[in-house]
Amino acid sequence: MNNNEISVKEADRQVYRAYFDNGLVDIFLSSFVLIWAVAPYLSARLGDFLSSAIFLPVWAVLYLVLLWVHKAYVRPRTGTVKFGISRRKKLSAFTWIMLALNVIFMILGLVAFSNPVGSGYTRMLAFVLMLLVSFSLAGFFLDVTRFYIYGMLWGGGFFVGEWLYQTYGFSHHGYPVVFGTISAIIFLVGIYKLLTFLRRNPLPGDDQLGWEGNNG
Amino acid sequence: MADKHEMDLQEGFLEEIDPLIHSPARLRVMTYLYVVDSLDFVYLKRVTGMSWGNLSTHLTKLEEGGYVKLSKSFEDKKPKTMIELTLDGRNAFRRYKDDMQEALGNLPD
Repeated sequence: MNNNEISVKEADRQVYRAYFDNGLVDIFLSSFVLIWAVAPYLSARLGDFLSSAIFLPVWAVLYLVLLWVHKAYVRPRTGTVKFGISRRKKLSAFTWIMLALNVIFMILGLVAFSNPVGSGYTRMLAFVLMLLVSFSLAGFFLDVTRFYIYGMLWGGGFFVGEWLYQTYGFSHHGYPVVFGTISAIIFLVGIYKLLTFLRRNPLPGDDQLGWEGNNG
Repeated sequence: MADKHEMDLQEGFLEEIDPLIHSPARLRVMTYLYVVDSLDFVYLKRVTGMSWGNLSTHLTKLEEGGYVKLSKSFEDKKPKTMIELTLDGRNAFRRYKDDMQEALGNLPD
């Protein structure tokens, strides 16, 4: 972040990205991918709905843990920023667009669940498209390039899994292997980013926090 | 002779460049402050990559020049200093940006 050349545009980008660059989102995201690796094993016993719903409490616990890590370790090192008007507008637009998309995708999902249309392959394509759109929007609005890669990994995982299943006979359409691997990759990226963040940004002392400028 | 005349003009023009902003470290600080409404000392240190002492020194100069404003408060019983550009600071930065673009743009090849 401390390169010698600086431009207003690049500074704007760096300030914005510095806010999200701590790996917590990656760790949380990896748990969403993990569901696709574990749920196929549970669905035979619990059914499609429960095998996914059982993850809700897991997510809740993970969310609380990450929230605590953020409050205790990340926030004091990140500091506080109030973005300029253009960035605030971009964040607000992202929030509303994602909210609208989630509602649309949820309705489409419910319709497809209760009244399946098209082949399984078509539905998979539709789901992959939704993933790519969501991750591309997140990558664009949050200015986090790796989200594009995550979207492609997650979306492409369905095709790779299917290929492994048909070519080598991997169980459960290859999902446990493929999504387990993708989840592990995203998790490790998150851990690496978190540790790097903590190492590079030691906790400031009270004397530094209370810098007095002219008076001190 | 024409070239010398042009150079003399440029030198005269460069003298108008704001020396308070022109230092690389302060230019860096001003640039980051320019793109946000405000940020605290911790955040500014992270994005600039400067040491506490170095950042303090330059912020003090900018504060003395009336380009930055500090607001002190407490969060979770810890002191917090928010930093923002004053209107003068924002205008000075814009002027500096325009002056530099004009000065460098007019230099002979």
